[in-house]
This record gives sequence, structure tokens and C-alpha cells, in this order.
Amino acid sequence: MVQYFSTAFHYDHPWSRVQVGMWQKYPNPQCAHVVSVDVIDRSVHPETGVIRTERLVGCKQAAPGWAIRFLGGTEDAYVREVSFVDPRTKKTWIHSTNLSLCEYMTVVEKITYVPSTSFPHTRTHFHQTAEIQARTKLWKTVGQKIEQMSLDRFKQNAIRGKEGFEGVLRTLFGEDNMQDISS
Amino acid sequence: MAHSLKPQCTPLKHKYDACFNKWFEGYLQPPPGGNSESEEAQRQWQRDKRDEYERTCGKVWDGYRACLDGALTEKGLDDLLQQAREENPLIEAEPAEARH
Repeated sequence: MVQYFSTAFHYDHPWSRVQVGMWQKYPNPQCAHVVSVDVIDRSVHPETGVIRTERLVGCKQAAPGWAIRFLGGTEDAYVREVSFVDPRTKKTWIHSTNLSLCEYMTVVEKITYVPSTSFPHTRTHFHQTAEIQARTKLWKTVGQKIEQMSLDRFKQNAIRGKEGFEGVLRTLFGEDNMQDISS
Repeated sequence: MAHSLKPQCTPLKHKYDACFNKWFEGYLQPPPGGNSESEEAQRQWQRDKRDEYERTCGKVWDGYRACLDGALTEKGLDDLLQQAREENPLIEAEPAEARH
């Protein structure tokens, strides 16, 4: 069974500012579960100009404590995040997947940031989906329980993520100054 | 700015992040002459910016990346990463998903 999660909302900042903020999102007090962020690869496409960035995000485990102990995991979990920022079309696509405990479960998160269709210069549309699936190595009941608890944790973190990122954007750009640097 | 997974690499990482962030803000700005410039002029501007990134942040990046290398091996992350890259290289964005 796959647990599926999806959410969409907007940030009241232009796309370019959300992108500038994206690299400075952590640390923020709402997302204390993120303990480290490292860039492990980055390139600018010679033709399209798209920036591809591969990062390793270190988190305190999203899975519940009993599950980590059960699976013999450690406190720290690492996520591989690959993002594509296209300055020409103003589209950002981010794919994240867990490296830790990946033999037992997979969490795949996909995010897009695009200018809002109604207010393209002042508002950014955010869309996020996640798929959580325990692999068959786990007993079925345990697997389902881990999926459900991981999903609950994921939802909590998604809400905190929005609040935290809004705080970061406010610190960087204030509330009133909505000028779009890319237009 | 966030810490590196290896505390000793954090100062180098912050230096690199600062360099990239500064360059990135400039990269998002429209080319001089705005978007009315010809396609070729825009591409050339983009290439120049790309070179500028290599020139200004290349060395800092090399230092940070070298520091990180050992840490990935120590934590067993290089194998996990290799496996993830083989399973899903993610060389390009998924076109359908990026078009919302």
C-alpha cells in the first residue's frame, strides 16, 4: 500500500525571491528537524541555463523512534534532493528521496514552484506531493504502521515547512517590498 | 546558513553558499537590454554568467567539496548515494511535473 500526500498553496512573494530564499531556507526554528544541508553537485546547463543542484539534507529521523530501533537505524537520516531551476521559464522542480532506511521504505517528494497564473509578479504557486511506501521486507502490519506514522510526521513537517519558509522570506525581503528582481 | 554534515566543512560551506547566493541573484535578473534582446544575445549573456560562476565560485567549491568527500565515506553515504543515482539519475526535470 502506498500512502499519498499532496498539498498546494502560494507564497506572497515573486518567484525569483522564493528561489533566492530557497537556498537559505535552513536553519529556521520551524524546521528544527533539518540539521545539515550540503551541496554535493551543481551545474549550469550550457544550452538551457537550468541550474541542477544535488543536495544532501540531514534530518532527525522522520520515522517514529520505535521503528528506527526496530529497523536498527540511527538518529540521523539523509535525504537526496535534486532540484532544477529554470530562470528562463521560471520553473523550479525538486525531487527528494530518502537515503537512510531506504531498504525498508521509500519516501519520494516532488515540489514545484511556478509564478502564480493570476499574479505572476507577486505570487508563487507551490505544489508538493509525497509517496510513502514500505518495502516488502517488512511484516505487513509493521509496514503499514510505519507508513501511516511517517505520513503523519510528513504532514506536520509540511505545515511547519511553510511557516518556517515564510519567516525566512520575511527576514530576507520584508513584507511590503514585493519587487520581482527578474522582471 | 545551514551547517554541513561535517562540522569542519561548515566554514567552507558557508563561504561557498555566500558566493553562490550572490551569483544566483544576479543570474535571475534579466539580461541587460531586458527580454527584448535577441535569443542569441540572451544565450550569450547566460553563457557569460555561467563562466562568471566558474570563475568566482569554482575554487571555493573545490575546497568545500574536497572537505566533504571524506565525510560522505565515513558515514557510508557515498554507497547509498551511488545506489540512488543508479536507480534514478535525475539528469533532467520531469517535464510533465514541472509544468503546473
